[in-house]
Amino acid sequence: MKVLVAVKRVIDYNVKIRVKADQSDVDLTNVKMAMNPFCEIAVEEAVRLKEKGVATEVIAVSIGPKASQEQLRTALALGADRAIQVLTDDPVDSLAVAKLLAKVVEEEQPGLVILGKQSIDADNNQTGQMLAALTGMGQGTFASEVVVDGESVNVTREIDGGLQTVKLSLPAVVTTDLRLNEPRYAKLPDIMKAKKKPLDVKTPEELGVSTASKVTLVKVAPPAERQGGIKVGSVDELVDKLKNEAKVIS
Amino acid sequence: MTAHDELLTFLTTTLGPSGVLCDDVDIARYRIDWAGAQGGIPLAVARPATPEQVAEILGYCHRNDIPVVPQGGGSGLVEAALPDRDTPELVISLERLNGIRHVDPINFSMSVDAGCILQTIKDAAEAEDCFFPLTLGAQGSCQIGGNIATNAGGLNVLRYGMMRQLVLGVEVALPDGRLLCDMKALHKNNTGYDLKQLFIGAEGTLGIVTGAVIKLFPRPQVTRTALIGCPDVESVLKLYAQSRRSCCDLLSAFELIPRICLELAIEVAPDLPDPLDEGHPVYILMEVAASGPVNLDGMIEALFEIGIENGWINDGVLATSDHQAKQLWRIREAMLEGQQRRGEHLRTDVSLPLSALSEFHHRAQLSMEETSPECTVIAYGHVGDGNLHFNVLPPPTLEQEAKRSLLHELELQLFDIVAEFSGSISAEHGIGRAKQAPFLETLTAPEHEIMRGIKRQIDPRGMMSPGRILPATHD
Repeated sequence: MKVLVAVKRVIDYNVKIRVKADQSDVDLTNVKMAMNPFCEIAVEEAVRLKEKGVATEVIAVSIGPKASQEQLRTALALGADRAIQVLTDDPVDSLAVAKLLAKVVEEEQPGLVILGKQSIDADNNQTGQMLAALTGMGQGTFASEVVVDGESVNVTREIDGGLQTVKLSLPAVVTTDLRLNEPRYAKLPDIMKAKKKPLDVKTPEELGVSTASKVTLVKVAPPAERQGGIKVGSVDELVDKLKNEAKVIS
Repeated sequence: MTAHDELLTFLTTTLGPSGVLCDDVDIARYRIDWAGAQGGIPLAVARPATPEQVAEILGYCHRNDIPVVPQGGGSGLVEAALPDRDTPELVISLERLNGIRHVDPINFSMSVDAGCILQTIKDAAEAEDCFFPLTLGAQGSCQIGGNIATNAGGLNVLRYGMMRQLVLGVEVALPDGRLLCDMKALHKNNTGYDLKQLFIGAEGTLGIVTGAVIKLFPRPQVTRTALIGCPDVESVLKLYAQSRRSCCDLLSAFELIPRICLELAIEVAPDLPDPLDEGHPVYILMEVAASGPVNLDGMIEALFEIGIENGWINDGVLATSDHQAKQLWRIREAMLEGQQRRGEHLRTDVSLPLSALSEFHHRAQLSMEETSPECTVIAYGHVGDGNLHFNVLPPPTLEQEAKRSLLHELELQLFDIVAEFSGSISAEHGIGRAKQAPFLETLTAPEHEIMRGIKRQIDPRGMMSPGRILPATHD
């Protein structure tokens, strides 16, 4: 069984986000980029399935600018067998990504598609669900456990107030939650080997998908800066401030 | 009124009631340091909030022959900042003198109060797209004044030097109550004796640093962190020399971690990674950083190829995200905690020429095992600086008294070997009280004479941190 994993290049989660002066977008100049943490979990899960003998081949796919090849090389170093890049410099929204992935799915015919539940930059949490709808596959979102059993897969989902296990017939779409696994470190010998693994580059045109977005980004603004606290001199002053300034008591 | 009452009245008048502590509960935390060493009961704890107040207190103590000891964040390792156990001293804590005075991103400098927490300084530098390189385990609590007084080292010395190299100017309250102000933010200043260097590393014996101008650097934008498994210390040193060459001298840390330290770290923090498939005798935690778009991955990969070819490297991992890099660095922090948990042990901080380090390591290990076959040697450190923390855990079954004398014997033995290799018994921790005896032994007559002369000149009454570095004078 082939497993297809989607990988997104995003700002490293440790980086403090800065907004461009004209508020048109987040400032990405000279900012450290990394693989979306949920995608790392997806890659790890696919590689584990291969190590268990369940998957025969792991294919990593990323949609984005040339630099996203870095994240694909990381996926290859972590254990993916080959990679596909859909090269585009345009901003792509969730629907365009889902359409492009659907085309890749059509070509590759994987038994399982694993995606992060969301990317930490846009936080949309849409692509996996849209891909399932476009391809007609079943979906198991927010997975904390994935067990392939013959022609089906049992996905344990993290839901409000507990866990839910769904059984999907293959092929299926799974999106990963934080607790699914702990991603491994890229070993230096594997990083060297990853350079020799195949990486195909395709374009949205070749796949016959228009990436034109129906969504326009109007404005990005940082959250209001937190006001510093103050020290009050007496209980009376505290009560007064809570009443008249903070208005949390009456 | 007794002299003690007079002191308290003076302090309260000068500093206000919140500037003086004398209650047992309030002063408890000034009597203990990070390593758990316990000091005596101080006369009081003074908490001045301005440089002038510090000077004023020193002047008073000078006139009244009251010994004083300045205190920063309490993470020193040689008991220099703890109040004396026999002669009650006045503790002067700089914790309220903690402002950032000015950041200059064009001059790449910052002027600060001595009580500023190191982390606060690093954050303030970063906000101006700059970088202050001093990096220590204690950076969340240690103060820059303490860093200066102890000439702190830490993880980035390899690239940026010790505190001594990072100071452009100082402001010092002198023992007689005058304020010496050399706060020029100059990168070049060749006018006579460089007095500020006298106060750096003086451990509070010549005055109290109240402010400083420190050097900043461009902020590293790209960083790569790798954990590499190596067969032995000799390979590590060859790899070090090659790393500096292959990585265009962009190496910012090169830490030796023996296998046992990794295990100690995981003992403390079981969620830490043991990322290589097999255990290796020694590991290197290495970091390469650049402030612009440089292909660090390419450099590390090329280095790795050379290392494998020559048999210096067994295996290694490269952190793919900042999260993974932080986890690797947590190994370095947690192993110290793990060591601490094993109870009293020999803790050293020796410095050697890098080319002699492997042979020293071998000789010292044999010598320790010969004397005490059941002891465990833990030798880790900033090998890129020739700095080895050659520590020894005694057999756990040993009685307290026997343990003490064994550790003392092992220390003497180790320092003899250090001398043979022309090393130093203190690379970065300093002398304080803990290392005074072996330090005095290594001093030549002219060195001893000049050091005593300097002390006498600046602190004629011997009231500044008496008994630290040099023995207290009683005349």
